[in-house]
Amino acid sequence: MMGDIWMTLLGVLVTTLLAFVTGMFYMGASRKITARVQNRVGPPIYQNFLDLIKLQAKDTAIHHGWMQLLGPAFLMVSAVGSLMFIPVLNKGLFFENFTADGDIIFLLYLMVFGSLGMALGAGQTGNPNSAIGVTRGLTQMVGFEIPWVMAIVALILQYHTTNIAEILEAQHRSGVWSMFANPYAFIAALLAAFGMFRYSPFDIVGAPAELASGPVSENGGKFLGTMMSSHAVFAFVKLVLYVDLFMGGADNLVELVIKTFGLYLIPLTYGMVNPRYRTEQAVRYFYGWPTLFGIIAILYAVFY
Amino acid sequence: MNSLVIMLLIYFAGAILVYAANKFSAVLRDVIVVLAGLLPVALFFSIPAFEAFQFRIAGFDLFWDLGSLAYIFEALVVVVGAASLVYAISYMKGKKNLGYFYMNFFLSLGSMTGILMSQDLISFFIFWEIMTWSSYFIVVFNGYKTNKIGLTYIFFSALGAYAMLTAIVMINTQTGSTMWNDFFIAFAGMSSHYQLLISILFIFGFGVKAAMMPLHIWAADAYSHSPMAYTATFSGVLSKMGVYGLALVMIKLALVSNHFVFSQVIAWLGAVTAALATIYALIQKDIRKLLAYSSVAQLGYIITGIAVGTAMSFMAGIYLAVLHGLFKAALFMVAGAVEKQAGTTDMHKLRALIRKMPLTFITAMVAIIALAGIPPLGGFVGKWMLYESLIGSNHYFLVIVIFFSSTAAFLYAYRFLYGIFLGQEEEEFAHVKEAPLMMLIPMLFFTVLLIVTGTFPGIILGPVANAMNHGMGFRGVQWEMSVLTNVYGDSIHLSVISTIVVVVFIVFALFLILKGRKGTRYVTTKDIANSGEPVRPEDNYHFALDFYKPFERAMAPLYRFKMSEIYGNISDGLVSFFQFTRRLYSGNGQTYVYYVLLFIVILLVFSNQLINR
Amino acid sequence: MNDKNSQKIVDVIKNFARKHSLFVLAYGTGCGAIEIPATMTSRYDAERFGIRGAATPRQADVLLITGYLSTKTLKRVIRTYEQMQDPKYVIGFGSCTINGGMYWDSYNTIKLLDMYLPVDIYINGCMPRPEAVIEGFIGLQKLIAAGKAEGAKKYKENLDWYRANQKKVIKNWVMPDYNW
Repeated sequence: MMGDIWMTLLGVLVTTLLAFVTGMFYMGASRKITARVQNRVGPPIYQNFLDLIKLQAKDTAIHHGWMQLLGPAFLMVSAVGSLMFIPVLNKGLFFENFTADGDIIFLLYLMVFGSLGMALGAGQTGNPNSAIGVTRGLTQMVGFEIPWVMAIVALILQYHTTNIAEILEAQHRSGVWSMFANPYAFIAALLAAFGMFRYSPFDIVGAPAELASGPVSENGGKFLGTMMSSHAVFAFVKLVLYVDLFMGGADNLVELVIKTFGLYLIPLTYGMVNPRYRTEQAVRYFYGWPTLFGIIAILYAVFY
Repeated sequence: MNSLVIMLLIYFAGAILVYAANKFSAVLRDVIVVLAGLLPVALFFSIPAFEAFQFRIAGFDLFWDLGSLAYIFEALVVVVGAASLVYAISYMKGKKNLGYFYMNFFLSLGSMTGILMSQDLISFFIFWEIMTWSSYFIVVFNGYKTNKIGLTYIFFSALGAYAMLTAIVMINTQTGSTMWNDFFIAFAGMSSHYQLLISILFIFGFGVKAAMMPLHIWAADAYSHSPMAYTATFSGVLSKMGVYGLALVMIKLALVSNHFVFSQVIAWLGAVTAALATIYALIQKDIRKLLAYSSVAQLGYIITGIAVGTAMSFMAGIYLAVLHGLFKAALFMVAGAVEKQAGTTDMHKLRALIRKMPLTFITAMVAIIALAGIPPLGGFVGKWMLYESLIGSNHYFLVIVIFFSSTAAFLYAYRFLYGIFLGQEEEEFAHVKEAPLMMLIPMLFFTVLLIVTGTFPGIILGPVANAMNHGMGFRGVQWEMSVLTNVYGDSIHLSVISTIVVVVFIVFALFLILKGRKGTRYVTTKDIANSGEPVRPEDNYHFALDFYKPFERAMAPLYRFKMSEIYGNISDGLVSFFQFTRRLYSGNGQTYVYYVLLFIVILLVFSNQLINR
Repeated sequence: MNDKNSQKIVDVIKNFARKHSLFVLAYGTGCGAIEIPATMTSRYDAERFGIRGAATPRQADVLLITGYLSTKTLKRVIRTYEQMQDPKYVIGFGSCTINGGMYWDSYNTIKLLDMYLPVDIYINGCMPRPEAVIEGFIGLQKLIAAGKAEGAKKYKENLDWYRANQKKVIKNWVMPDYNW
């Protein structure tokens, strides 16, 4: 019994560490790739670790109240918490965690937990840019959640389960990844992912030139550092979730890295050649083609 | 004596006593209010089973018994009612006509108890009317300005009541009985015309109180303009009487299974109510109005859950009804506390009360998280069950509409918290103090309850499942303390979820608070990074105006649809029609002679037909 | 391993990270701001040294004063500098920050930035080309690695002197408390 607990704890730590390191490297890689596309050399791939260490080594002499102190913790709950309920590998000693205790509808909600908590932290700083950024982010969320949920509903209807591990298993049993079994759902979810990853043209929340980085504009040092790590973990969480839902998961870490990184490149490269949308344009974008694909996906899952 | 009757008596005697006591002393009045509020709670939870009570009056059999579904709602009535009364003592301090206010408060609590225990249609209708009138008197309590609002409320309520009365008369002519049970049994044997008519009339009657889509326009104004202490009960519990009625009619009459179209229409009405009320909630600038619209939206989920009518969705509907009673009562209490302490409920004026009213903020935050349905608080359980049941019963587009409105609900949830508690501080509110203890106690009580239900929803699901198995005609409904299972057999473990969320949160919160704690100090929210320009004392950069302008722009077509405008057009049309009819009465004797002549001519023309008949 | 040695190792790591991760708040005062885009974009690519822009002073490490400072702007620059969190560095960019440059006899610009803010490193020239800017940043990195970029410390120690200088040129001194 005691051993079980220690194994669980070890699993949690290993998974979190893996997610953190992978996510940080992906963020570094994204900077490198963006630089190469722009014909630059770019920072080293481990640049984000240096940034993180520096941020954590920086003083935080001031805060604007206890909600600001807690804001990044909410983000972390959302990132690390969701990670606990997603099977990272199909079979793995340390990566099982609490997959059996949650399901995908629950994950949908847990994944917004962080941004709402962070929004409260941003709200307390008193900087109007923070609040404007939050309203933009929430508005955009109302946009991309709809095709995303449609894709998930289509999957649930197709496989008659809401458990992620069982969706994985169903894909293995049929031998077809759900991105081929229901391609419309995959397209809807992928288009929704553009909004979820917040690369251009959907980087309307941060928008350094307009909002002075929006919700984080009053946060430096440990706050920014913690947010950065949570973004790393959360990017990994989202990627693994997509891989699990649509690409049949991964049997080993190499496969996982290949699949997740391939997926990661799509919103990234899409963003490189795009300017920034206005908020209402972003919402209308999601209510256009992505929602249509979502509807098709649901009908396809029902009638096919 | 029968314990049901005792509870009823406490409320009605409380109404009279408190009115009388108000003439003598304020302290006596408050003591009676608290006693008569808390006694039913003690009574209700100490008695394991209520026995039935039957008597005959004026040729009608009256039969009172607390059914298993009514038990849940009655629990809500006594608990939220008692909390609101305790809250009211502080909140209503210094206002006039308090005896009148408390009398109507007790009357509506008593009448709700009466509605829930009525097994016959006669006393059901009488109590229903008492409830409507007592709540109407409190809606117009705040004075002259509320007259029009009260008029809308009473107009719709009266329409609903007459619809219900017509249905009751029809039932009586058809079955010769005035008992609910006889009606339920006889319903299947009625002709399909009667079935349709009676159920539409009932749904109309209950739909008014449950603020269902075309009948909702009274709700936002009435909720926001009555005193907040009462609105906690009004929105939290009184609206649930409509839900209770709908549940009875939809499930007991088997409308769900036999009339597929019927249940679909109601379910979609609920979902559309939820979506539209949500997007209207997020453009309000008054927190009371925001909460009022949010109430309408939440009732939409509940109606959808009940109308879909599978075991799980019904459970979700009733669970959400109870939860909505708890968190919306808490939120209206927060609004009342803010109104009382800061003097305004206008989000364009309010600024950053978090440091002045931290406990109120915590209540608001917990209640809002529960409202938004975010784990690990109680609201999530209801949302989860609703989604899973809708997907499981193949209502896949309904679930998208519901999901849209509950995602959009995050927007007003954030606006509520930000508009009152966050943002930039202002001198004007420097004097604001935390709400008095008597107001905090009920608020914190709800906070604790919402946190507990997040991990152990079984304390509500248990009675709901019991009601469904005994009395509502569902078979073998399962429930567990902290495990939820959907139709596919997948389950989530709430205790695990709560543990993970809490542990991760505490770890990182401690890290953020403790790291470099000594070198950290608080600075005011006017000390912001603002391109180097210090915020002057007379400036305030709080962001409140046009908060969700981008959302409004993106959703412009939806905002064009306004039910109140449609009603406005109808009433304008009626007015011009009546104005036309008024012209007939010209006041001129000559004209009337013409009318008489015209009448005689018409008689002559049609005389053959008239006489030969 | 005693405490002092471990502290030394931690310092080395910290300084290495600080050196290679400079978030720059480019305070685009005079004409110098036009050189910043050139420095950041593909031709010169300052990001390969870990230099990137920061949106607000709360996130920034380096305050880059690109050119002349009128007394009116100086007030905002001081405020911005004081809102930055330790460790923080100032780069004076262009001749104007050293001796007033072509504004040497102007009545409303300051001549020597170091009188008002503790400058860690100057980049001279009018204009300094992006090569020179990068050279300047590398100079700052060397100072950081050596632990010698202690302008902020100097500022705190000699705050009275700096304040006196600042108040001498800024007549309407209505400023909130500094926050570090």
